[in-house]
Amino acid sequence: MQRMAVVAQLVERWLVVPDVAGSSPVGRPNFHNSLPSADADLESEVVVAPDVPWVTIVWNDPVNLMSYVTYVFRTYFGFPKPEAERLMLLVHHEGRAVVATGPREEMERHTEAMHEYGLWATVAKASDG
Amino acid sequence: MRVTRAGGEIVLEFADGESDVLRSLVDQYLEVVGSEVGSDPAHERLFPVAYRDDAPAAEEFTRYTRAGLVDRKAANAAQVSLALDEETVRLSPDAAERWLPLLTDLRLVIADRLGIRADDDEIPDTPAGEVYTWLGHLQESIITLLEES
Repeated sequence: MQRMAVVAQLVERWLVVPDVAGSSPVGRPNFHNSLPSADADLESEVVVAPDVPWVTIVWNDPVNLMSYVTYVFRTYFGFPKPEAERLMLLVHHEGRAVVATGPREEMERHTEAMHEYGLWATVAKASDG
Repeated sequence: MRVTRAGGEIVLEFADGESDVLRSLVDQYLEVVGSEVGSDPAHERLFPVAYRDDAPAAEEFTRYTRAGLVDRKAANAAQVSLALDEETVRLSPDAAERWLPLLTDLRLVIADRLGIRADDDEIPDTPAGEVYTWLGHLQESIITLLEES
């Protein structure tokens, strides 16, 4: 890329939105704004039957490359390449795919891992998926 | 930029200014990732809402996972930034793998700034759009070489 030196000047501090520019680079997020209410949480626990499986869903996004999504499905879930590609295409064409089914805690762990990879993943009851 | 394989390593040879751009982006990314929850619209992409129809569960997920995700994303980015001190970067396959989530995250933040939200949104013909595309090429090249091994 010939113009990179020019680009370098243009992108100087361009990713950082103005109101966070002064904050510490690796400062801890403030969680106090997002504490869930205990009542609401209790309610959601009560209505869920213990044997209802949960799912991890990966959603389509316009940013992630098809090759990267396939790569993540292969390396994280250990899917053979054809299965990883099938799921990637499902995400791409249908907008989402269920990539794992099982206990809620496990589906949350998978979702957290997908977020670490930069994929858009959610947890849901299997019946919702 | 040239991405090749030499022996067991993946070799990134950056052209003039490219590694400076990347280092600048990574530094800015560290600020974005570490900034206060909800203070940056790109957080919605870096830390997606984990439950679509259950706000309390989504908040609890955030409460339990956010700090760890921030730490791991930041640590990974800091490691990549260190490697950028050289114009030619030699990476073991394991080290190269750690670049991939960061390259995705950089593209997620840039996509937010450029308003790329749907598959048919066009990448603007601007320096920022050019960087977005360039990061995608870099990621794709690394994946291709990793899959050959």
